[in-house]
Amino acid sequence: MKFKIPIFDVKNLSFGVRGQKILSHISLEIFNGEYIAIIGPNGGGKTTLIRMLLGLESPSEGTIKLFGKKLSNFKAWHKVGYVPQRASLVDANFPATVLDIVNMGRTAQRTLFSFLNKEDKAAVYDAMVKMDILDLKDKMVGTLSGGQRQRVMIARALASKPEILILDEPNTGVDIVSQRNFYALLSKLNKEEKITIVFITHDIGVIADDIGRLFTINQKAIVCNNPKEALSCEEMSALYGIEAHLIHNHKHEH
Amino acid sequence: MLEMLEYEFMQRALLAGMLIALLASISGTFVVLKRYSMISETLAHSALVGVAVGLVAGFNPLWIAVLVAILSAWLIEYLRSSFALYSDAILAILLSGSLAIAVIIVSLGGAFNNSLFSYLFGSILAVSSDDVITILFVGTLALALLLAFAKELYFIAYDEEVAKTSGIKVKLLNFLLVTVVAVIIALSIRIVGSLLIGALMVIPTVAALQYRVGFLNTMFLSVIFALLSVISGMTLSFYFSLPSGATIVLCVLLIFIISLIGNKK
Ligand SMILES: Nc1ncnc2c1ncn2[C@@H]1O[C@H](COP(=O)(O)OP(=O)(O)OP(=O)(O)O)[C@@H](O)[C@H]1O
Ligand SMILES: [Mg+2]
Repeated sequence: MKFKIPIFDVKNLSFGVRGQKILSHISLEIFNGEYIAIIGPNGGGKTTLIRMLLGLESPSEGTIKLFGKKLSNFKAWHKVGYVPQRASLVDANFPATVLDIVNMGRTAQRTLFSFLNKEDKAAVYDAMVKMDILDLKDKMVGTLSGGQRQRVMIARALASKPEILILDEPNTGVDIVSQRNFYALLSKLNKEEKITIVFITHDIGVIADDIGRLFTINQKAIVCNNPKEALSCEEMSALYGIEAHLIHNHKHEH
Repeated sequence: MLEMLEYEFMQRALLAGMLIALLASISGTFVVLKRYSMISETLAHSALVGVAVGLVAGFNPLWIAVLVAILSAWLIEYLRSSFALYSDAILAILLSGSLAIAVIIVSLGGAFNNSLFSYLFGSILAVSSDDVITILFVGTLALALLLAFAKELYFIAYDEEVAKTSGIKVKLLNFLLVTVVAVIIALSIRIVGSLLIGALMVIPTVAALQYRVGFLNTMFLSVIFALLSVISGMTLSFYFSLPSGATIVLCVLLIFIISLIGNKK
């Protein structure tokens, strides 16, 4: 096997609210360098799964290990970049320039009182260059377009120099051209910067060439190691709406 | 202008007032950005419970006000994070609850008099040199804490969950913020009054937000607005024998209205 210690090691994860099962018995591993897409119907539990992986929601059963550590003991959060669903719908009145937002990516690493040092500034600059927003740096975030905001939110996540980037449908309300550029950029981050990417999207056809594995989440998880094959197979459409069978999975049982 | 500075009580009041303006506006920036403006009103009423106990039992009302306000702030934060309650509803409940308790204590203790009135509306005559020392000492500590964690508090105000997944201790810092706000409010009611301190905490930031500038500039503007209101409010209050708290609030309101109209889209 190419990869050794998984970044995420999830075993038998379930989540329910008031007796209603939202996710049941999910086991999966995410390895360094992967590009994973997560798809599934609305309300299928994709966001819930990601929120559990990040400690924002507690599972009713199961274990999560992040970089080999139990989630509750994990400290190195700078290694994880997260762009939540609807992140780019910022409150138009919030007093923040693009630079203010990207600086947040370094906030957690600073000590008391200390301002951003050379290394922080370099990382912030770097992230803005990668996302091509350097010329927007002094603009108020509230005045930007949807596509521009999206790039700002990802620059913030990149500023901490993450090893894994988790994006929850960040492209709501972004035009097609911007989306294509965005996908190209994700692919570049994965190939050139070796950043592991987990991308929740409904737009699977467009990125099928880029991704390595595909997870389908609809209460249960189906891990598919060959996305193109998965797309062509008939079960794929059947997966939407019903709990379904395994498509293709030689690495994990369940 | 200079005549008023010849009076020692005026020097004390101005010094204390400016410190409070600084504290209220800086902490207010975070409170407003978190959509938590009403907490200042609630804590001010909780502080009144402390004042009532102090007046009736004969302790220093300022210290007990600080204590009760902190306890109330922790209760609010606990209720907010542990129960499925709307935070504005929690604030409304604690506000009226505190006021009811304060009124009962005061009327049972027979202390319904002028000195309570001065805690409701503020009085520059009431500021003792002990008060100034307390405000200087505790206020500096509160300011240091706010500045130490300004970046983190700003991040939390922007997006609590993303802050958490970046490794920021969100829960702890939320408690820290409400504690500092409680202390600042309790210290301020002497001068601005418990019914009016909320205005000094919230309005300078809301006025500053109208200029649509970045974080540091917004905070800077709100400090300037608060200082301007306190200095001009106290000056007017001295020369026209007006109640200080109300005059300060009218000044900050004027600044707000000018900012609003001047920045109309
Ligand atoms: N804390 C919670 N309390 C109650 N219900 C919840 C909670 N968290 C998630 N749910 C429910 O779980 C289901 C899955 O929601 P989730 O947001 O994870 O779906 P999703 O796959 O991300 O959908 P979408 O594609 O619309 O973003 C929904 O029915 C949602 O209402
Ligand atoms: Mg979702």
